[in-house]
Amino acid sequence: MWQQIISGLQAGSWYSLMALAMVLVLKATDVPNFAMAELGLFPAFCTWALIDGAHLSWWLAVPIGLLIGVALSVVVERTAIRPILAENHFATVLMTIAVFVVINAVVQLVWGSEPRKIDSPFAGSFTVAGQVVAYEQLLSIAAGLAVMAGLILFFRTPLGVRMQAIAEDRVTPRLLGVSVTTVFRTSWALAGAIATIALLLQGQASLLTDQNGSGLLIKGFVAATLGGFSSITGAFVGGLALGVAENLAGAYISTSSKTAIALLAIVVVLSIKPQGLFGRHQVREV
Amino acid sequence: MTPLALLSGSPRRVAGVAGAVAAALVLLALPGLVNPYLLFQACLVMVTATAGLGLVLIMGWSGQIALSQAGFLGVGAYATTYLVAQGWAWPLAAVTAGLVAALFGVLIGLPATRLRGFYLAIATLAFAELMIRVFVEATPVTGGIAGTAVQAVVLPGIDVDGSRWYLCLAVAAVTTAVVMRIGRVGLGRRLRVVRDAEIAAPSLGVSPMRTKLLAFALSAFIGGIAGALYAQCLSYLTPEIFDMGLLIEFLVIAFLGGVGYVAGPFLGAVVVVVLRDLLQDLGSWQRLVYGLILALAIAFLPRGLASLPARLRARRPAPPAPEPPPVSGQADLTGAAR
Repeated sequence: MWQQIISGLQAGSWYSLMALAMVLVLKATDVPNFAMAELGLFPAFCTWALIDGAHLSWWLAVPIGLLIGVALSVVVERTAIRPILAENHFATVLMTIAVFVVINAVVQLVWGSEPRKIDSPFAGSFTVAGQVVAYEQLLSIAAGLAVMAGLILFFRTPLGVRMQAIAEDRVTPRLLGVSVTTVFRTSWALAGAIATIALLLQGQASLLTDQNGSGLLIKGFVAATLGGFSSITGAFVGGLALGVAENLAGAYISTSSKTAIALLAIVVVLSIKPQGLFGRHQVREV
Repeated sequence: MTPLALLSGSPRRVAGVAGAVAAALVLLALPGLVNPYLLFQACLVMVTATAGLGLVLIMGWSGQIALSQAGFLGVGAYATTYLVAQGWAWPLAAVTAGLVAALFGVLIGLPATRLRGFYLAIATLAFAELMIRVFVEATPVTGGIAGTAVQAVVLPGIDVDGSRWYLCLAVAAVTTAVVMRIGRVGLGRRLRVVRDAEIAAPSLGVSPMRTKLLAFALSAFIGGIAGALYAQCLSYLTPEIFDMGLLIEFLVIAFLGGVGYVAGPFLGAVVVVVLRDLLQDLGSWQRLVYGLILALAIAFLPRGLASLPARLRARRPAPPAPEPPPVSGQADLTGAAR
C-alpha cells in the first residue's frame, strides 16, 4: 500500500509538473498548449543523447537539456503561436496540435521508437520502516514541490503580476507599459524548462520513448483540470492525486483500469464541476 | 423542372448543370473507368470526406472544438460490424451504429454546453482516448487487441469493389445533400449564431444548449455512419486504427480543405488520401508532413482550400462580384434575426 502511494506520488509529480507548465502558459497567454509535453520530450531526448552518445556528465547534460527546452519553447511561441494569436482560440489550439505532431515526428525520425533510459547519479534506494524508497522517487517529488513553490513566488514578482494582468486583459496592461512580448516569451520559456524537467525525471526513473509525450499530455491536462486550470497549487495537488489514484487502481482493481482512470476523471470532472475541484468560477465580460 | 426549362437558363447555369451531370456520370461509371486500386482510394476519399462533413457541422458552423470524430468512427465501425455478424442487414446496422454514436455525441456534448472552447477540446480528446480503451477491453464485441474481421457488403450483380464504391458514393452523396440543406435552413443559421454570438443567441430565440447538442448528435451520427463505411474499406478492425493518427488526418482534412465549406472535406480528403498513399511506408515522415500541412494551413490559409476561389475573385479588381464573399460567418447573423 505505502509502496503504491510512493510510486503514485512520484508519477504524480511528473503529472503535476506537466500541469504546472500548461497552467503557466494558459495563465499568461490564454493558450491551451497541446504541444507542451512534446516541448519537453525533444530536450529530454537531447539530454539522453548527450549522456549516452557524447558521454557528458549528468550534471552538465541536464542544464544543457533545460536550455534546449527553453530555446525550443521560445522559438515555437515566436514562430508558430504569436503570429496567429490575434485570431480565435480555435486556431491556436489547432496550431499547438500541429506543433505536437511535428515535434513527435521529428523525435521518431531522429531517435526511433526504441525505449531509452537516462542514466542519472540518483540510482539506488534506501529502506525506511520496512519500505523501500528509491532516490529517484524522492528526487521527483522534491523537484515537483520546488517548481510549485518557485512558481508561487514568481507570480508575486513584478513580472509575474504583469503576466497575470496580460492573461486577464490584453489591452489595458499594454497601455500601462507592460510588454506583452516579454510576458509571452517568459511564460513559454519557463514552461518549456518545466516540461523538460518532467520528461527528464520520467526518463531517468522509468523509460523514455516517443510515446511519453502524449501520455504525459493527457495526464497533465487531467491534473490541471482537476485543479481548475488557474490555480498553481490546485494543478500540483491534482497531479499528485491522479498519480496516487492510478497506482492504487492499478494494484487493487486491474492493470487496465490504471490507464482508464485519468480519462474517466476528466470526463466526469468536466461534466459535473467544469471549474475543477480547486478552481474558482471565472466570470468573463461579454 | 424539365430539361427544356433547364436549357432556357443563362449559359453559365447550363454549363454548371452540364458539369454536374457529367461529374455524376463519371462517378457512377467509375468502377468501369479505373482499376480496383484507384477505386479503393476513391472509396477512402468518400469515407473520410463524409466524416469531415460531420466536422463542418460541429467545428465549422457551430464553432465547437471537437477532437472526438475518430472515436465516433470507431463506435460506428465496431457497432456495424458486430450487428452484421448478429445477422442484421447492413443498412439497418449502419443506421443503428450511427444512432449509438449520436448518443455518445450527446453524452460528450452535454458538458460542452457549459465549457469554454479548450476544455471541450480536452474532454473530447479524452473521450476519443477512452473509446480506444473500450475497444481494447470490450473483447466480446470488438475482438480486443486481436481485432475483428468485417463482413463485406456485396450488392446483387456487382463485385465487391464495385459494391463498396456505390455504398460509399451513396452515403457521401446523401450526407452532402443533408449537410448542404442544413446549411441553408434555420438550423444552419442557428449553429452560426451560437458560434458568432452565443450570448446574443437566446434573444434571437435560439437555445445555445439545444443547438450545440443537436450539432454534436448530428456530427457524431455522420461520424458513426462514416465508421460503418470505413470498416468496409479496411475489412479488418483493430483499436489502434482509431487512435490519434486518425484524429490528425481528420484535422488536416477539415482545416486544409476549409471547415466552413461543404466542399472543404472533399478537397482535404483527396489530399490526405493521396498523401497516405505516397507516404504509407514512411510512418514518421507521414506524420511530419501532416503536422507541417496543418500548421501552414492554419497560419496562411485559415479558411482552407475551399475558400481559394472566393479569395481569388475578391483579389481580381475590375468586375464587381455579384455577391461579395463572406469575410466571416457573421454575414449570416442578419438572416437568423428574421
